[in-house]
Amino acid sequence: MKVLEVENINKSFGHFKAVDNISFSIEEGVIFGLLGPNGAGKTTTIRMIMNIIIPDSGRISLMGNSKTRSTTDFIGYLPEERGMYRKMKVENLLFFQTKLKSMPKKDARKAIDLWVERMELSDWKKKKSEELSKGMQQKIQFISTVLHRPKLLILDEPFGGLDPINQNLIKDILLELKSQGTTIIFSTHILESAEKLCEEIFLINRGKQVLNGRLSDIKKSFGRKNVRIEYEGSDAFLKSDQIKRYDNYGNTVEITMAPGGDIQKVLKDAVDGAVIHKFEIMDPSLNDIFIDSVRSSEDEGAVS
Amino acid sequence: MRKKMFAVIQREYITRAKSKGFIIVTLIFPLILVLLFSGYFIFSKIFQPSTKTFTIIDQTGMVFEEFARIQSDKLPGGEPKYSFIKKDVAPGGMEKALADLQAEVNRKELSGYLVIPEDIIEKREAKYSARNVSDFEELESFSRSLSWIVTNVRLEQKGWPAKKIRSEMEKGRVKLVSQQITEKGEIEKSGLSSFMMTYILTYVMFLMIIIYGGILMRSVIEEKTQRITESIVSSISPLGLMFGKMLGICALGLTQLLVFGGFLLGTITFAEPLLKKFGVQSAGLFEIIKQVHFTAPVFGFLILFFLLGFVFYSGLYAALGAMVNTEDEGQQLQMPLVVLFFLSYFIMFSVARNPDTARAFWVSLIPFFTPIVMFARISVSDPILPSGTFLSLVIMALSTILLIWVAAKIYRVGILMYGKKPSFKEALKWIRYK
Repeated sequence: MKVLEVENINKSFGHFKAVDNISFSIEEGVIFGLLGPNGAGKTTTIRMIMNIIIPDSGRISLMGNSKTRSTTDFIGYLPEERGMYRKMKVENLLFFQTKLKSMPKKDARKAIDLWVERMELSDWKKKKSEELSKGMQQKIQFISTVLHRPKLLILDEPFGGLDPINQNLIKDILLELKSQGTTIIFSTHILESAEKLCEEIFLINRGKQVLNGRLSDIKKSFGRKNVRIEYEGSDAFLKSDQIKRYDNYGNTVEITMAPGGDIQKVLKDAVDGAVIHKFEIMDPSLNDIFIDSVRSSEDEGAVS
Repeated sequence: MRKKMFAVIQREYITRAKSKGFIIVTLIFPLILVLLFSGYFIFSKIFQPSTKTFTIIDQTGMVFEEFARIQSDKLPGGEPKYSFIKKDVAPGGMEKALADLQAEVNRKELSGYLVIPEDIIEKREAKYSARNVSDFEELESFSRSLSWIVTNVRLEQKGWPAKKIRSEMEKGRVKLVSQQITEKGEIEKSGLSSFMMTYILTYVMFLMIIIYGGILMRSVIEEKTQRITESIVSSISPLGLMFGKMLGICALGLTQLLVFGGFLLGTITFAEPLLKKFGVQSAGLFEIIKQVHFTAPVFGFLILFFLLGFVFYSGLYAALGAMVNTEDEGQQLQMPLVVLFFLSYFIMFSVARNPDTARAFWVSLIPFFTPIVMFARISVSDPILPSGTFLSLVIMALSTILLIWVAAKIYRVGILMYGKKPSFKEALKWIRYK
């Protein structure tokens, strides 16, 4: 079942086109990366999904229904800009959140106790939120997002401000929720963290789609490969039309192959003039794919 | 949807109602009222004047009884104001008698003494001696009583029936009754007290709307600066959030107003019978309480106009709060609003004196001024409703709806806008956003 379908949505603020004709859909139980640099249109897209702002045109449906305010009860949303009422007790704060998600009182109390304990914050339940450390506040905010057992979880930069131990804790919980069938949209500009978690990605830049699909497919279809060679001797083999670009560090060189370039030929050339200590073919990183795709899409934009 | 809004109302109300500041302020007014009244009561007990004793040397032998009869006023506590002792002086013993009396006055056994000479009817002169002769009221009162007696005697001497003449004079006395003229007819008024009460009530309403409007604005700003808004409007519509906040804070102000007004009304209605039941007698205190012009209908209108005024101004406050990023910016922007609202307090001063002029009628229809000005007109005209009461309510309600609609549009966009404070022109542009 499609949990979320976004069809041709557009949004402008004055003359600024924040989101430009974007479409994607997400299957149940998938971790979906909504990726792009700061200001690319990620948050605007999420706000439209959350019904906070209304698209100028296009359609968004949740669980097969055209979205209404009540369907947002099935979503847990952790915004990038997140804070809490400073003077409220943690417990009351979380309880208020469950009411906003139409959760029955009894379930809410139980869920709060459970999650607070899991996040090792039981001693802080009766404290005012302003007394909590930044990291604890982040954890409370995460709890308030998952308390009502959402079917779809939208996390905007969830690891910001968390230490590695807590990052790991949150990551484990996300994987656990996924195994229980929760669909997760993970929005970030830090591509390394997305690469480890996401199965599907949507790359957005300047409001426009750059890439969309399964991460493994994207990597596969991304024709270019990177090669790293540790060598001793002549570097004459680098002057080859099989190679698009290289960074030579003296005895290590990182090579970006030209489209359709023959890696075996490069290896043969290298062996002719140098001693090879190590020869490694590397998958392109999401970063490489992103930079390359953005560059080529912007080039297209410049031409047209 | 309604449940979510209720959650917001509850949060706004309960977190504040539980705060020490709110509880103290809410209870301090009734406390002051109780202290004021009991203070008056205690002071009047402590400084209650006691019966004064005067000795009267009546050389005519016919003035004393009549004078004592006329001077039979009672003190607030029920005791007689004066007690008079008749002293007869043998011829030639006057000097000694006066010396004795002076000694008695100095020993404070006596407040003073009066000497009524034999020839008082002709010479019309008597002597008043006391430790303290600055009590003009007493001097005036004694002089009046003696004049009455002397005049009667002089009338009888001329063969005119003093009693008949007196009774005829009494019948001829004309009383000037002050009446207020309204379109619906004439009505007797107590005068000053209803003005005083109107000034106080309108000031309370003014303060409450300004203070609670400010609380709403700060609450909106807090959600912005603390970056709370986004997570909340992902669960409830911005409109629902705005209304929830408005109603929660409005309920807070209403609580306070009900406590204040209820206590005042309760005091006026029940203080006298209740105090009397416990055997407390204080005519002065009861008189003061009766002077307070505050009736149940006025209380009702106070609540009604507070609600209308709060919702109207709170729409502006909510929109302002959504436009700015810090409390300081908010304080600056709200100044014109406060000045505008305060203007209605000045207008009220002149309108309360002449509540039925055409000018008063028109100015009370302007929504910015209606809560204070119209309420003032109602309060001073009580129990008659001044012209335009219902018209002003209708206009106020309609303009409130319009204003809230505009405010909601600005609020919806503003709460998610961080960074530079928008100009009013930009904010008005937000109204057209989809």
